[in-house]
Amino acid sequence: MNEPELKSMIQDILAEITDEQGKTVSSNSTDTNDVSDEVLSDISEIDLKKQFLVPNPHDKAGYLKIKSFTPARLGMWRTGTRYKTASILRFRADHAAAQDAVFSDVDPELPKKMGFLETQTTCESKDEYLTRPDRGRKFDDEMIKKIKDSVTSHPKIQMVVGDGLSSAAIEANIPDIIPAIQQGLKVYGLSFETKDVIFVKYARVGAEDHIGEITDADVVCMLVGERPGLVTAKSMSAYIAYKPTIGMAESKRTVVSNIHDGGLPAVEAGAYIAEMLDKMLRLKKSGIELKAAENAEK
Amino acid sequence: MEDDQILSVGIDLGTSTTQLILSRLTVKNFASAFSVPRINISKKEIIFQSDIIFTPLSSPTKIDAEAIKKFVTEQYKKANIDKQAIQMGAVIITGETARKENSSSVTEALSGYAGDFVVATAGPDLESIIAGKGAGTNIVAKRQRRSVVNIDVGGGTSNLGLFNDDGEVIDTACFDVGGRLIRISKENHQITYISPKVEQLIKSLKIDIRVGMRVTAEQLQPVVDVLTQILENSIGLGNRSPYFDLFITNHALHPEKKIDGVTFSGGVADCLNEELPRDEFRFGDIGLLLGQAVRHSAIFKEKTVYPSVETIRATVVGAGSHTTDVTGSTIAYTADILPIRNLPILKIAKSDESLAADALATSISEKINWYKVQNELSNVALALVGRRSPSFADIQRYAAGIVKGAQILLVKHEPLIVMVHEDMAKALGQSLFALLPSKYPFVCIDSVKVENGDYIDLGAPIANGEVLPVIVKTLVFG
Repeated sequence: MNEPELKSMIQDILAEITDEQGKTVSSNSTDTNDVSDEVLSDISEIDLKKQFLVPNPHDKAGYLKIKSFTPARLGMWRTGTRYKTASILRFRADHAAAQDAVFSDVDPELPKKMGFLETQTTCESKDEYLTRPDRGRKFDDEMIKKIKDSVTSHPKIQMVVGDGLSSAAIEANIPDIIPAIQQGLKVYGLSFETKDVIFVKYARVGAEDHIGEITDADVVCMLVGERPGLVTAKSMSAYIAYKPTIGMAESKRTVVSNIHDGGLPAVEAGAYIAEMLDKMLRLKKSGIELKAAENAEK
Repeated sequence: MEDDQILSVGIDLGTSTTQLILSRLTVKNFASAFSVPRINISKKEIIFQSDIIFTPLSSPTKIDAEAIKKFVTEQYKKANIDKQAIQMGAVIITGETARKENSSSVTEALSGYAGDFVVATAGPDLESIIAGKGAGTNIVAKRQRRSVVNIDVGGGTSNLGLFNDDGEVIDTACFDVGGRLIRISKENHQITYISPKVEQLIKSLKIDIRVGMRVTAEQLQPVVDVLTQILENSIGLGNRSPYFDLFITNHALHPEKKIDGVTFSGGVADCLNEELPRDEFRFGDIGLLLGQAVRHSAIFKEKTVYPSVETIRATVVGAGSHTTDVTGSTIAYTADILPIRNLPILKIAKSDESLAADALATSISEKINWYKVQNELSNVALALVGRRSPSFADIQRYAAGIVKGAQILLVKHEPLIVMVHEDMAKALGQSLFALLPSKYPFVCIDSVKVENGDYIDLGAPIANGEVLPVIVKTLVFG
């Protein structure tokens, strides 16, 4: 075979190949036009208490019954370094939700919509907030003045909403719990106005002590997002104290924890907190001292 | 809260025996210090068991009320208990005794006499539930994760209570099968009594058994065999007896329900012997014959028979210890209207619960009208399932619907009683408070499961006002 023959043969072969490729490409492109608008199902929608991945269980009903009592990831079939894909993806999704709850800010529309007074502790960023807990408990002079000028001083009840470690918790629970507390307080002839509720960005629980001193309130009730876990990123607590002061003992706080849709529902928590606020105002105590006074009352 | 205790009484007027127990229920907060209290009964102790006496009759069709009062007084004295101290309890009248002419007046009188807040109950369904709980069948079923039926074979009736693997009662039945359907003199083995249904059976079997004649165990065996076969049939075993329908008291179990295991209670449960004792008419009846026949029946061959915690006392223990429940902490009420007795339950259909306030109100008021008796409206307890995690708007909607729908009760100044299954009663109660006229009496409680046809009693608050005792009386079942 001489060179020109060889050349033409190679050209033929190449032409054949490109021809075929051309066809494949074109058929591929019809495929891409055929894209389905189906959305992948959200794996975090699966109820973990009902997800059971063991293929041939001896007693499925029994296992599911055990699972119904715990949010722990039981019955995932493989453990250690060999989780099933579904399990590992879900774990990472939950972990990401927990991190998001810590690192994202509360929707700036929320305090505006609720009519809260917006404030910020001495922290300037999330990083500072996470690394310097002490700065999350204090306000600078300008903020102190803002609070003093805006809210009613010496109130019976000072409500505070703090982002804490979960912004998701605040967004999920505040719109329901605030009206529930207000309505509950009516039973006891007490009240507060939403314009007097102080919203605190970069807030640690101790911020309520400073607010107590600034406003001279009888009782300060702070709703704050809890450190998220893998079960829920939306858990909120109420830390309630009678005449709190900076540096007071932690035992003076009364806590209502586990407020989220899988724990104590926000409205029911609000109803309970209202009763608690009335009790503190009557007994002029909070925390351990309140418990002791309640028991002595009997 | 600190633990608190309830003193409860149970009195059982059965076909053959009457007994009384006193029990102490401990109410405890199970939640941690940082959560809302979760209050439950933590302990049920029987602190006194009475003598077991034969149910006193003044005539074959009448209960001797005076003799029973005397018995109760004596037993209280023996137990060293002041009747004022008794907070809860139940009088239950069962088996053939429930069919005596004066049964309802006797229990009513007795419930007042036995203590301020002791309820009178009757009905084969309730008896089956109470006996099963007294026998501990609900606990066995839950532990074994099997559906287990308790058969309480008493003097006149056999009550069946079927519990699912969660320990919840799912079906009941009652048959006129018991140890004292034929009574025989201990001394000369002469028959002194034959129940009407057994008379029919004897006639149809064409055998010669009559009141007044002396009998042997062999002669009675055909009758005992039929009774045993009916018990087998009652849980779906053996060939169906032609007399099965004759011996049904109210209804049989639903045949499609699975039964894994059995427990026995009632007097005959103490007679489940392999061999007949030498003196087979020791108790003056056919209890020992029936017990031995049941021991050799298909029930023991084909089902797992679990031991029960109570036998002859199952019903009275059930009445004394297992009728009272508590609801607490997340509740709202006005105290001066308690206790409240015998309120019928009006359950709102689940589909109606998601209606807008006005539509919900219409549905409620329509249903309240069903409870009009001769144009007289009496109070009802409104029951809802509720929402698992309700929004504040949901709560407002429920409250508005309830207050508007119950207007016909409100104008009569009947206290408003609302019961929710899901945990939302405190918020709902506060919303009701806001909508109701000032100082209007109401009770709003949660975590109590009730159905249409149930009746409810609410006790005076205990544990510093944080807890209300509740008795749900299921009179119709299935």
